[in-house]
Amino acid sequence: MIEMEIREPLLEVRNLSLSYEEQSIINNISFSINKGEKLLLLGPSGSGKSSLALCLNGLIPNSIEGDRTGSIKYAGKEIQSYKPGQLSSRIGVVFQDPDSQFCMLTVEDEIAFGLENIKLPKEEMIRKIEWSLSLVGLEKYRQAHISTLSGGMKQKLALACVMAMEPELMILDEPTALLDPVATKDFAETIDRLQREMNFSLIVIEHKLDYWVPFIDRTLVFTQSGQLMYDGSLKKGLVHHFDNMKDLGIYLPKVTGFGQQVKENFYPLTMDELMEELNEINLSPPIQTMNVFSSTPLIQMKHVSFSRGEKQILKNIHLSIKKGEWTAIVGPNGAGKSTLTLMLAGLLKEQQGEIFYGNKLFKDLDEKVRLDSIGYVFQNPEHQFIADTVFDEVAFGPRMKKIEDIDSKVANILSDFRLLRLKDHNPFILSQGQKRRLSVATMLVDEREFLILDEPTFGQDEKATNEMMKMIQSRVNFGMTALMVTHDMEIVAEFAHQVIVLVEGEVVFQGTPYELFIENSEIVEKANLENPLLYSIWNTYGIRGEPIAASVIKS
Amino acid sequence: MSKWSLREIVVMSVLGIVFAIVYLLFTQVGNIFFGLVGPIGYEPIFGIWFIVSIIVANIIRKPGAAVLAETIAAFVEILIGNAVGPRLLISGMIQGLGAEVVFAATGWKRYSTWVLMLAGVGSAIFSFAWGYFISGFATLSPSYVLSMLAIRMVSGALLAGLLGKYISEGLAKTGVLNGMPLGKEMKKRKVA
Amino acid sequence: MRLQLLNPSIKAMVVLVSVVLLAFVFDPLTPLLYLSFTVLITFLFGKVGMKKWCIRFVPFFIIAFGYVWTTTIFSNPPSNTSFVTYAKLGPFEITDYGLNTGLALGLRVLCFAALSLMFILTTDTTKFMLSLIQQCKLPPKLAYGILAGYQFLPLLKDEFTIIRNAHRIRGVHWEKGIKGRIQLLKKYTIPLLASAIRKAERTAIAMESKGFTGSRDRTFYHELKVSGKDMLFFLLMVGIFIISKYVSETI
Ligand SMILES: Nc1ncnc2c1ncn2[C@@H]1O[C@H](COP(=O)(O)OP(=O)(O)OP(=O)(O)O)[C@@H](O)[C@H]1O
Ligand SMILES: Nc1ncnc2c1ncn2[C@@H]1O[C@H](COP(=O)(O)OP(=O)(O)OP(=O)(O)O)[C@@H](O)[C@H]1O
Ligand SMILES: [Mg+2]
Ligand SMILES: [Mg+2]
Repeated sequence: MIEMEIREPLLEVRNLSLSYEEQSIINNISFSINKGEKLLLLGPSGSGKSSLALCLNGLIPNSIEGDRTGSIKYAGKEIQSYKPGQLSSRIGVVFQDPDSQFCMLTVEDEIAFGLENIKLPKEEMIRKIEWSLSLVGLEKYRQAHISTLSGGMKQKLALACVMAMEPELMILDEPTALLDPVATKDFAETIDRLQREMNFSLIVIEHKLDYWVPFIDRTLVFTQSGQLMYDGSLKKGLVHHFDNMKDLGIYLPKVTGFGQQVKENFYPLTMDELMEELNEINLSPPIQTMNVFSSTPLIQMKHVSFSRGEKQILKNIHLSIKKGEWTAIVGPNGAGKSTLTLMLAGLLKEQQGEIFYGNKLFKDLDEKVRLDSIGYVFQNPEHQFIADTVFDEVAFGPRMKKIEDIDSKVANILSDFRLLRLKDHNPFILSQGQKRRLSVATMLVDEREFLILDEPTFGQDEKATNEMMKMIQSRVNFGMTALMVTHDMEIVAEFAHQVIVLVEGEVVFQGTPYELFIENSEIVEKANLENPLLYSIWNTYGIRGEPIAASVIKS
Repeated sequence: MSKWSLREIVVMSVLGIVFAIVYLLFTQVGNIFFGLVGPIGYEPIFGIWFIVSIIVANIIRKPGAAVLAETIAAFVEILIGNAVGPRLLISGMIQGLGAEVVFAATGWKRYSTWVLMLAGVGSAIFSFAWGYFISGFATLSPSYVLSMLAIRMVSGALLAGLLGKYISEGLAKTGVLNGMPLGKEMKKRKVA
Repeated sequence: MRLQLLNPSIKAMVVLVSVVLLAFVFDPLTPLLYLSFTVLITFLFGKVGMKKWCIRFVPFFIIAFGYVWTTTIFSNPPSNTSFVTYAKLGPFEITDYGLNTGLALGLRVLCFAALSLMFILTTDTTKFMLSLIQQCKLPPKLAYGILAGYQFLPLLKDEFTIIRNAHRIRGVHWEKGIKGRIQLLKKYTIPLLASAIRKAERTAIAMESKGFTGSRDRTFYHELKVSGKDMLFFLLMVGIFIISKYVSETI
């Protein structure tokens, strides 16, 4: 009791509620964070996590409109009583959307901007800029224009800008959603290292939490309606609330999920913990191949190349996708995956080589026929939107085709994607995850022969990911051909018939997931991938020389 | 300036930039007409050069919106390379001022269709006076000069006033202006 | 002296002063001389690429030409001047007065163009804005607001492609030709502007989250000063104007 009084929390939130235009988002939450503490914030998509981040540094209600009640105290003082700009140097936020956090043209000017605001002298600034760039490995890009950086690099720059100001509290809102697995791991490790050096407090908002688990002190769990369901250590939370958390639809550590399937009351947090228990348990090998019904190719690329200016982005691509097949394209950030898929959708013209659709050349195909048979979900969900409300957005395609019963069809898919409540909202004010779901819904409602999805599941909670995959699967079962770019190896292993690995604009592998993860580990490494959990376990078994039994535990 | 929020300033400047490009494109069209039929070739499309002041004034509804927006558009036009150069900045300011005077006369309170069209005419008159001085219209015959002015005024009312109203309200319908005075007013109108 | 190293605000002021001075000139020789000097200085001290300069300069011949021929035909000599008539075409007269004024106006346009090219091609936008804050006391809120908007410029074309693709992929496609173009323009104007506004608001929020308040009380990573060289440049350009005017009057 006495100890608690001495140690005043850095940030103290009491009975905070938030609503946008009468719609309640955050409901009466209270928590606090001490100096140097590391918090993980979990919650289903749309539960108000990003909104909370905006409240904590005062952007709501100062710059973004919203009705906030309750109290937020920073270092013992209400945040409204800080002068404008004062708080921003002490609380740093890396936002969810990498494209909307910069205001200058070049990398160094962007970092300098924040430092100028806190009136650092010039010499100091130069030192800080060099230091913060070296932290995130962007030294070489000091003079680069921000618009030429890839999504992942922008995310790192955003971190550097915030680090340079040496905040006492750092809030990261899904900083790795768009990064490839290796970059994600590196990012989490960089944060860990910096935190040790500088001892700032940390709040991480993240759906894919696996890499953060090792060094997080406390976990907060939000419910769908913006209430705080749990505040404490992750382990304890899992032990006591596993089912509740699962019901919320949030991701839990992969190993924990696996542990739960093999043994009751077993909540491992690390691979080692899991493997220890798995010693005596029989494990089935991953599935080798999945059946594809047809063998006729739907789309083929031959000798396709593409350049932007001097830079060659795709080099001599050959690939073939069969009718009814579900293909995953994977590879490091900047490998050219999006470029490749844009070309397959006919939105970008190949500069060399040929693309066949069925047995016709792409360019001989009637534009209208092509656009009606190929669907595309853009990597940036906002690129999809053309209507002013969520409902109209989904109804757009069906209305063009003048099919019957549009209202109920649209309502169905909206409710499957937890968007029905938002049907009159503008697509652009949705949460990141909701935007993503909406963009996928617009294409799923529009039945097309061939559907291309560029990272359909990023920023999604587990429930939404599963829902989405099931919907695609049911369409594939009815003969649709699907192609998806993803950084999530779990869904590749579970759903894809074939995988194409792209590295630096070249196809380095085309085959089944089994062939990739079991037989081509050097490619997995080269392409910044990681093994899906089942395969990692399998590989570890192989190394240990354990007996391999054949009973099935995979659900 | 302190009464303006940063958000309003950036929105204004972005609109200024988009229209700077539109202006540049129209300059090319205008130049061709100009080369063919002389100064009067510009007049029928002259109103387009006032549109940003009308749009921004209608959206933000604060003193200075028209002048500032038009000045920024001119400024950006210079930066991206309209070689007419610095005098454009003054032209922009004066055009904006013409519209601003009309808004000021209503106490920056009324933004009806007529006011917006009048603002377009205001820009036309102000810009004409300036053109008279800088481009040496004084040397042209009076009837020619008068017909230029008449055409420009009509163009200002239609291409700036009416089109500006149409575009700003179209924007408000998309919901991006919800935080701005025009968006708020449109919402009120919708509820009522 | 390198034009690139001069203070941008001073450079802008020099150009403005020159423009105003030229507006009072109605003889062809002064602008011709001033034009030649300006071009000379641009290449000598600005090290501007010839091709880059020409591409932007050449279109102004069209305007200049427009001025020359219309003024020549439509000009209205003040009653107290004497003039020589070269030719008569119906109601129009071509006089030496008209031709002279036409040439003067045409050359004036070219002069304006050369002056502003001298500025644009040797000035960095960010530095210019910073100098406007530091030397001309432009409110930082406004200057940074403009700068933030300015960085969208290269993105605008991408934005257009994005909107076009979004429509295409939903099965909307336009007829070819002029009609399709107009349809397209109508459909895209609002989305394009809407997305620009949306980006603008986000940028404003990003700036505020980095502690920007618009206060003048801030330090600068790029500090811009006014030096003797700037003054020298100012005097040089005004001096050239006086010489040009003098020469043209004495001839
Ligand atoms: N400016 C706004 N106006 C109105 N509603 C908004 C606004 N911003 C967000 N919302 C709504 O508030 C809710 C919470 O959004 P928020 O972005 O905080 O969710 P989130 O938990 O971060 O979700 P995700 O994991 O998908 O990013 C969503 O339902 C969203 O539609
Ligand atoms: N509009 C553009 N202009 C210039 N370069 C671009 C553009 N779009 C992409 N690039 C470059 O092309 C390369 C491939 O980009 P692409 O978006 O296809 O990568 P990706 O594999 O989809 O990466 P990620 O996993 O990050 O989405 C990158 O190096 C990128 O910098
Ligand atoms: Mg979020
Ligand atoms: Mg991509």
